[in-house]
Amino acid sequence: MTVHMKRHGESKRGDASDGREAVGGRLSRVDGPPKITGAAKYAVEQQLDGLAYAVLVESTIAAGKVRSIDTEAAESAPGVLRVLTPDNIPPLKTASDWLGTPPPDAPYYPLARDITFSGQHVAAVVAETFEQAVAAAALVKVSYDEAPAIVDLSDAKAGDGIPIDAMTKEWGDAEAAFAAAPVRICAAYNTPREYQAPMEPHGLIARWQGDQLTVWEPSQWLDGMARTYAEWFGVPFENVRLVSPYIGGGFGSKALALGHGAVAAIAARMLERPVRLVMTRPQTFTGYGGRAATRQTVTIGADAEGKIQSIVHRGVNETSIDGMWVEPLGSTTSIMYATPNFSSRQNVVRVNSVVPGAMRAPGENPSAFGIESAIDELAYEVGIDPLEIRLRNYAEEDPHAKKAWSTRQLREAYAVGAERFGWSKRSPQPRSMRDGNQLIGWGVAAGTYPVRRAYGEAMVRILADGSVEVESSSIDMGQGTYTILAQTAAETLGVPADNVVVKLGDSRFARAGVTGGSRLAGVMTGAVHKAASAALDELVALAISDPRSPFHALQANTLVVANGRIASPRGDGPEVSIAELLASVGRDRIEAKGDTMPANSTAEERYKNYTTIAMALPHTEGDYSRYSWCAHFIEVRVDEDFGTVRVSRVVSALDSGRLYNPKLAESQWKGGIIMGIGQALLEEGIVDRRHGRIVNNNLADYLVPTNADIPDIEVISVGIPDPHSSALGGKGVGELAIVGVAPAIANAVFHATGKRIRDLPITLEKLI
Amino acid sequence: MRDFSYLRASSVDAAQLASALPGAMLLAGGTTLVDLAKCGVAEPDTLVDITHLKGLDAITVDDRGATIGALAKMSGVADHADIKSRFPAVSEALWQAASAQIRNMATIGGNLMQRTRCPYFRDGENFPACNKRAPGSGCSAIGGVTRGHAVLGTSEACIATYPGDLAVALVAFDALVHLGDRQVAVDDFFLLPGATPEREHAIQPGEVITAISIPGTPAARRSTYLKVRDRQSYEFAAASAAVGIEFEADGRTIRDLRVALGGVATKPWRARGVEEALRGKVLEPDAVKRASLLAVEGAVDHGANHYKIELAPRVVARAILKLGETA
Amino acid sequence: MTSKTRIPIQLQINGRQHELEVEPRVTLLDALRDHLGLTGTKKGCDHGQCGACTVHVDGERVLACLTLAVQAEGRAVTSIEGLAQEDGTLHAVQAAFLEQDAFQCGYCTPGQIMSAVACIREGHAGSDDEIREYMAGNLCRCGAYPHIVAAVRQAAAEVAS
Repeated sequence: MTVHMKRHGESKRGDASDGREAVGGRLSRVDGPPKITGAAKYAVEQQLDGLAYAVLVESTIAAGKVRSIDTEAAESAPGVLRVLTPDNIPPLKTASDWLGTPPPDAPYYPLARDITFSGQHVAAVVAETFEQAVAAAALVKVSYDEAPAIVDLSDAKAGDGIPIDAMTKEWGDAEAAFAAAPVRICAAYNTPREYQAPMEPHGLIARWQGDQLTVWEPSQWLDGMARTYAEWFGVPFENVRLVSPYIGGGFGSKALALGHGAVAAIAARMLERPVRLVMTRPQTFTGYGGRAATRQTVTIGADAEGKIQSIVHRGVNETSIDGMWVEPLGSTTSIMYATPNFSSRQNVVRVNSVVPGAMRAPGENPSAFGIESAIDELAYEVGIDPLEIRLRNYAEEDPHAKKAWSTRQLREAYAVGAERFGWSKRSPQPRSMRDGNQLIGWGVAAGTYPVRRAYGEAMVRILADGSVEVESSSIDMGQGTYTILAQTAAETLGVPADNVVVKLGDSRFARAGVTGGSRLAGVMTGAVHKAASAALDELVALAISDPRSPFHALQANTLVVANGRIASPRGDGPEVSIAELLASVGRDRIEAKGDTMPANSTAEERYKNYTTIAMALPHTEGDYSRYSWCAHFIEVRVDEDFGTVRVSRVVSALDSGRLYNPKLAESQWKGGIIMGIGQALLEEGIVDRRHGRIVNNNLADYLVPTNADIPDIEVISVGIPDPHSSALGGKGVGELAIVGVAPAIANAVFHATGKRIRDLPITLEKLI
Repeated sequence: MRDFSYLRASSVDAAQLASALPGAMLLAGGTTLVDLAKCGVAEPDTLVDITHLKGLDAITVDDRGATIGALAKMSGVADHADIKSRFPAVSEALWQAASAQIRNMATIGGNLMQRTRCPYFRDGENFPACNKRAPGSGCSAIGGVTRGHAVLGTSEACIATYPGDLAVALVAFDALVHLGDRQVAVDDFFLLPGATPEREHAIQPGEVITAISIPGTPAARRSTYLKVRDRQSYEFAAASAAVGIEFEADGRTIRDLRVALGGVATKPWRARGVEEALRGKVLEPDAVKRASLLAVEGAVDHGANHYKIELAPRVVARAILKLGETA
Repeated sequence: MTSKTRIPIQLQINGRQHELEVEPRVTLLDALRDHLGLTGTKKGCDHGQCGACTVHVDGERVLACLTLAVQAEGRAVTSIEGLAQEDGTLHAVQAAFLEQDAFQCGYCTPGQIMSAVACIREGHAGSDDEIREYMAGNLCRCGAYPHIVAAVRQAAAEVAS
């Protein structure tokens, strides 16, 4: 039910007891029916007349130059329409980056002559059928002048890299305090290249109609990608339409327009036909970047009771030869524990790989592997329980920003998680718990992720039949956007969620910023709430003031809208449906576009807000530091002869603030935990050092967890509404839960075996 | 995938004739062939579809043994009640292989023809050198990423691992491959790479696998297949063992022992050294563990696959001891 | 029948006969998606490594990406579009997936559901561990596995009752 008080212009919010349709209710996924019946059309599944098929040809060397490309055989193969090479494609303009930084005035060729990594796009074949394009692509012969490559971080040619001063965080005198500390630990922690591996491969259909480009492409950021396409081709932003109603997983990898998209759009323009280009699964390992490989050293100085005196942290991550990716390795390190002295610095090292990219909790995830392993090592060094040492060093405020936490339910997470897991029954000694050949270990680790905030926009329409339409160019890749926005509109307007249709994934809709950094739910529920409130204001104003309204005679100053019906809160006077009211006042719709930007924002600022990340609000803005938090308690079973590790039990307690839909949030949390299990035990891009090439570039060799690898997982919400983080009180859900899983497993493996594994993944040969 | 002709064989004779044509390959479940055609490794001119042949999918089991038609599906054999009871290692090797979908497609005959998962073999575009794919071109695996490569039966020309599970159980129990009228022991059907790694099977052009047969023995009846891998399922073996055991009347002394290894060798690897060391001995953990070390006699590693030399004997020992526990 | 060029084939899909001309190299997956517009069956890897393309052929779950379309001639193919009843009534497995929230992005979901229907029919849904093993051929990167197990368990009980 919604009570609308005209005077205050504010509706009362529902709470979790309102039932499944209200915000906070366990409404089933509203986009579920099309997904379980096969009716949901993903981007490249559009059936278009005259569709041509493009297939990429990629470099087979990691460094050097393309000497020549022999296209003769491919061009004469059946069905081939065009073979694109660096020599016959028109140059594009270089686009600005995601901050909107003006680009250099230089041409951009998405097919390369200069090779900086193996798997770089060098040519593309377009044919009448997919099969013909695949066959002809194999006939393109590229010859190279090969140069020596820097294959990875351990390459002697790689050097120490480039210091990233912006990553430096220091207070106190960390080196001196470490030297003076009675208890000291120091260790190096490494994570390999990891890949997002969404089940839907990257790809698109591009179609030009005159100067108008339509791109059907899975996208975490329609407006940002539309901007890039527009800048590449030198057409106005409005001329580019991105369509992406369903996205088959992204995990950070589908937020930016990439080279293969440019190739498809060029091909479509050259051929004046719609062109579909979908990466092969192996191409998804080099066509864009996964998580950068990282190296960290963590040193902790503590007193004899385990109270931290100093943390010194040094991190390195890979980037590419000509691109820059910084994986912020000190992000968790600098906020998890109270310490009077701290130093974190980071370098990046250029190697011959595709530029790495965002993958679920970039920064916080590998950072947590370092600090949450190290604190465990400190616990054993001091001889206290790994949970106890975390409580002894609990940060009561943000130790870096020196600000109060907006909310931090981490202590509650430890308590609830430990209770549910039965942590108190843990036998402290390593190798002290077993079941036959299996050594059993229990580990704990914490995780965190900042609350990233931005301004949002939404269109809400109340239609003549009383139904409601919500439109936004934001997207749903499985997080539940369709569902929680329906709940938000339903609750705000006082209509059943069934009566709300949410339309997403079209850049013609109300604009939206990036779906990344776990920000979408907070941003968009706020925007929809605002737009829906404005629509409700108008509806009630009409009902009260329009002479044709049945309420006109009532002289009320407030009306109640509940279950799609309007009435006086006192119960006197008429009760009519929204549809009846609109009919009585002669309106076929009420439409309200709302945004949460400052009222005096310029058109330029609005464009910038939705097409770049430059206007994101710092999570430490104002008086508070805003983060989500979690604690993972994990049991592993290690076969003492075989070294195989299986996760047998997970209990995680998480603080994501208020949950807009716990059913869907729990799914996302579990998904993050499962990806963390893969990271801990299975996932690693393996480089052939002679060729600088990922060898296991497929789903049989790059192992992600199967159903059989995953036990039941218990997730518990310990969050409370956080008014400083979002309009409706939520923090972040999508990325939080992966953070801390890998160290919790590594800590459990140590408890099981007495072996401390500091290089992920924890594969069997490291334990036998 | 290169274009090819498609021909549906109406009889075994027709299949034999067609398969002898230059560039012709037999197509059964397609789980290896279609995959490798997409990789550009298999480049058939003609595919001869034999899945419509009648009568080649029968499974018969009696006291003498089992005969399994070449077109029987992996899933059908794995779930067959008599195979489960009389040849548990065969059933277990099958259900732990691949996925339920692939086991519904893949045939027993095709399974024997499964090819290596060596990444260098599968990617000719990036790694032209592969003696198995392009004889004489060299071996890209040696000196490369070798974590999955073989430690037994390797040569200077090839270190590719035989990836299958079923044949490991078959070689342990002296199964025969029926090529029409000709029969070949499974152990002889699979060839060591030597200097000719492109020759993997003792099958001649024009020959078609029609069936396999497994002698019924007490050791086959008391058998198991133990598969160790990084992932719990849907993955090839890091190391596996098919083991069968027969005790003397005292229930402790080993009369017959069969041991074969998977995931560590260039072909299904019978470990006769382990069998001989334990035959006539009382089953006892230390003796089993000592004897199991003989499973990797002569093993040679290439760096990252060294762990297989440690792992394989432990898998063998565990499997033997597990069978002993069920005495 | 021998041809390198397009050949006419008849496919029986979801109870309906379809006539199409395809090259022999066209897979059942691409025939469904590109030639017949039945895009519910997904392409995740095209090499039998993910299970997203799972369909039923003669009632058994198989991978459409490793099946040539021409091989499916004369066999009954069921894809996700053919699972619910004509009037839209969901199959018990579909309903259970919705109720248990056994998917997120939805891309592996048709394959999961087709696999689950067969898993139950095969008698491989007897325990949670058995479900996990016999559903292991369908990768889900969103990590819906525990909910998939719950959905299969629920649907198996409904099918049995």
